[in-house]
Amino acid sequence: MMGTTLFIDPGRCIGCQACVAACRECDSHRGKSMIHLDYIDAGRTAAAMPTVCMHCEDPVAPCAEVCPADAILVTADGVVQEAAKERCIGCGNCVDACPFGVPKLDVAEMLQYKCNLCYDRTSVGLAPMCATVCPTSAIFYGSIEELEADRPGAQAIDVFRFGSAEVRTGCAVVAPDSFTGPAPGGM
Amino acid sequence: MPSVAGGIAAVAVALAIYAGSRGLRYFDAALVGYATATVFLAFGVTYRYAVWVSAPAARRYLLRGWQAFFSWRNFRSLPTAVPRSVLGYLGFQTFLRARGRGRWIAHQLVFWGVVLATLITFPLTFGWLAFFSDTASGPGYTIYVLGFRTVSFDALSLVGWMVFHGLDIAAVLVLAGCGWFLWRRFRHREATTGQRFGYDFFPLIGLVAISVTGLLLTFSSWLLEGRSYDFLAIAHMATVVLTLVFIPFGKFFHVIQRPASVGVEIYKRAALERDGVFPCRRCGEPLEAKAFVSDLKQTMDELELGFSEWAETCPRCKRVLRGQAYLDTVKRGFR
Repeated sequence: MMGTTLFIDPGRCIGCQACVAACRECDSHRGKSMIHLDYIDAGRTAAAMPTVCMHCEDPVAPCAEVCPADAILVTADGVVQEAAKERCIGCGNCVDACPFGVPKLDVAEMLQYKCNLCYDRTSVGLAPMCATVCPTSAIFYGSIEELEADRPGAQAIDVFRFGSAEVRTGCAVVAPDSFTGPAPGGM
Repeated sequence: MPSVAGGIAAVAVALAIYAGSRGLRYFDAALVGYATATVFLAFGVTYRYAVWVSAPAARRYLLRGWQAFFSWRNFRSLPTAVPRSVLGYLGFQTFLRARGRGRWIAHQLVFWGVVLATLITFPLTFGWLAFFSDTASGPGYTIYVLGFRTVSFDALSLVGWMVFHGLDIAAVLVLAGCGWFLWRRFRHREATTGQRFGYDFFPLIGLVAISVTGLLLTFSSWLLEGRSYDFLAIAHMATVVLTLVFIPFGKFFHVIQRPASVGVEIYKRAALERDGVFPCRRCGEPLEAKAFVSDLKQTMDELELGFSEWAETCPRCKRVLRGQAYLDTVKRGFR
């Protein structure tokens, strides 16, 4: 897990879409939202799932590993950047290989887009747009110490299970401290 | 292996220079720096290319792209696919127009400027193209291609002006495009985020330096009666040589990589037409061509990612399934 990172708590998400609207305002991809907000049981419950890039650490960025054009850079601080515009050939490998379903493909632009942890903001110490506007703190940006101080009885989990494989990530999900084991990946 | 491939490419270029200049008879010794840099360029580009295509995903698409290219069946079912992709992606770069009109126009200016300069410079420095004055005082000139006499022209005519100022025209195109890109590098937050001097600025500086020193050569001969020409010629050669040897290691390598987009496009279109679409395991919506999903799973297995079966599920279903699993087993939330 990265030092200062995003902590996602789907249990708190009310599906208001503020994060989606705020993400569109990010200067590094203005007009395009990189966060996904999916309704788990649309029409019946308010349950929603916000998904940002989890910035996989082990294995390091599967999206970058399957990229045939070496277009996805992982910076020294562990942030998996979106595809380099001059290199991306729009094949879609990253879209289908990502275990979290994060990257998007703009077919006309022949370009992948994905959450880059609002790198224009986080690289200068600001919180990502989504965390800034989330009214329930379902998306929290800070250190693990800040999260634990804010939410007694909560823990952060940065390991996800996909079948028999485990993926350790730079971002994390929030779980009650009674929960043990990797978070389920849904596979 | 990459070193061997690079060495073969460098020797091949050196031999092509020797043969094309008819045993160096038409080779201009003043341009030897450029020719030498091109031999190094051939080594560097081939070395980098060999390293690049040794990775599982790149190797697989290289193979699939060429298989689709040489497939008679694909040619019959999709006869215009290759020329349309080549013209659209490599020539007019329509995908850049979708990314922004300014970016597209600027890139087209740089692209056609560099293409024009390349078509003139490389044959000239190799000795494949040579100009000889018909008489001692001109103005008639004859062009020799690979040592064979071709057309003659009047140096003082419009055609003559175009021939002798082709590189000036290229320089103006490149400068106009680079100006826009440099402005963007300083002002646009999308460009400034994470930009690196060596990767993002150096190529632009290189192109600007080549263009400016090239134009100064014309300026010197036209208005300064050739003053400082020798110094400018060396300065121009230095900028070109530095930029050429930089190509394999920096941003310019995308020029070598971009044709892969044509390969992937025709491979995916042909696979879709031949085998049909693979539906998402959960929702049944079209995911990708069947062969594409199969190839991606093989790539993921080669990389030992351990969750290649997950590639058969669409991104949205992956997110929903993970959300369901979280709310069922980790924390119930608003259900």
